[in-house]
Amino acid sequence: MTIPQEIADTIVDPKAYADGKRIDDAFSFLRKEMPLAQATPADYDPFWVVTKHADILEVERQNDLFHNGDRAATLVPREVDQKVREMMGGSPHLVRSLVQMDNPDHMAYRRITQGAFLPQNLRKLEDRIREIARGFIDRMAAKGDTCDFARDVAFLYPLHVIMEVLGVPEVDEPRMLKLTQELFGSADPELNRLGAEVKDPAAGLAAVAETVGEFITYFNEMTEDRRRKPREDLASLIANATIDGQPLDHFAAMSYYIIAATAGHDTTSNTTAGGLWAIAERPDQFRRLKADPSLIPSFLEETIRWVTPVKHFMRTATADAEVHGQKIAKGDWMMLCYPSGNRDEDVFADPFEFKIDRSPNKHVAFGYGAHVCLGQHLGRMEMRVLWEELLPRLESVELNGTPKLMQANFVCGPKSVPIRFKMH
Amino acid sequence: MKTWQCRTCGFIYFEAEGLPEEGIPAGTKWEEIPDDWICPMCGTPKADFDMIELD
Repeated sequence: MTIPQEIADTIVDPKAYADGKRIDDAFSFLRKEMPLAQATPADYDPFWVVTKHADILEVERQNDLFHNGDRAATLVPREVDQKVREMMGGSPHLVRSLVQMDNPDHMAYRRITQGAFLPQNLRKLEDRIREIARGFIDRMAAKGDTCDFARDVAFLYPLHVIMEVLGVPEVDEPRMLKLTQELFGSADPELNRLGAEVKDPAAGLAAVAETVGEFITYFNEMTEDRRRKPREDLASLIANATIDGQPLDHFAAMSYYIIAATAGHDTTSNTTAGGLWAIAERPDQFRRLKADPSLIPSFLEETIRWVTPVKHFMRTATADAEVHGQKIAKGDWMMLCYPSGNRDEDVFADPFEFKIDRSPNKHVAFGYGAHVCLGQHLGRMEMRVLWEELLPRLESVELNGTPKLMQANFVCGPKSVPIRFKMH
Repeated sequence: MKTWQCRTCGFIYFEAEGLPEEGIPAGTKWEEIPDDWICPMCGTPKADFDMIELD
């Protein structure tokens, strides 16, 4: 069974994600009519579209049967895939981070930083993160009664936290934000490196490759510095790590920095911006949340489900397999559609309703299995602290214009959330 | 009563609390949980949990 062309073209279209409703409608159709079927969008190699929550878990749980690295780990058009392989000596990956790795490398590389991201080790950062959150809230208050919550708070606060964890000086944060947005916003003319609509895939890829190159130049210097003078930061951990007694493969080390410096804040930013947008539109839930701060943890989980900033990852079958009664052949490419899993009617009651007290809320926004988001506990802590500090001070909040979503099909969320507010 | 933590995602199993929603009553010792049990947060097999001491 093949997905209708219009739906197949929609699920790869960055503009459908910026529209919101178009992508929700496409996934709703698929969950109902063809929950695991093959798509053949123009310009893309065929791939299976996994839309059900249970099937996403099923695929992610079997990380030896469904690999991350055998083909591109995110959706790329055929022409871009070919060009990447030409540039990278046959590899389909522009970077080689945990996202593009499989075992045994994945486990070996993940263990380098895994301990640092466990809740008990993050606890010692909480006071400092709270101080950072208060600083951003003070700056928001100083703006008067209007701001763009996405640009003025949500983009900057998680950026500052992860850069401090990583060891990037504050002065370089604007550059890191710009490079991140160029990478994840490569299809968005307002954010990408070209500053224009990408009409030629080759030019789009060249721009992304330049961005990656700029990251690598930056982190090369940092690696040398941390090898000479290790500090208490993530960069020192990566720079001085060994696997089987050998330093990390240079390209993989650079990719490690890049994923921390990009996914380490953009996802949290998207969720935070989307969370405020949600309560700005729902004054009853805002009042309830303010009156009962014990709802913050469930509100937070609901913001993560609601925004689901990572829209997909791709997997490749390493052997013939069967999922949802569908035969998957060895080598087949599969798209795990997290926003769809997080709106699955079989798992979530009223999935298109934003409920601050949703329970249970077993969303798949962080993925599942061996590749589950390494930074999930840091992200949750950052957001919890921000809401704990912001909500008591926020007397009222409403939209002050129309929020805008980013054009992207991989990592994205709101790029503008104009609000009017009163603060205590 | 001991505490166990998943190496992959950090999920903590408290023997004292069990996981009633998964049919594991409070007070269930780690050894009594079936070997094919997987982490409810990330699906990591039981064998990949580490025992940690409570703070």
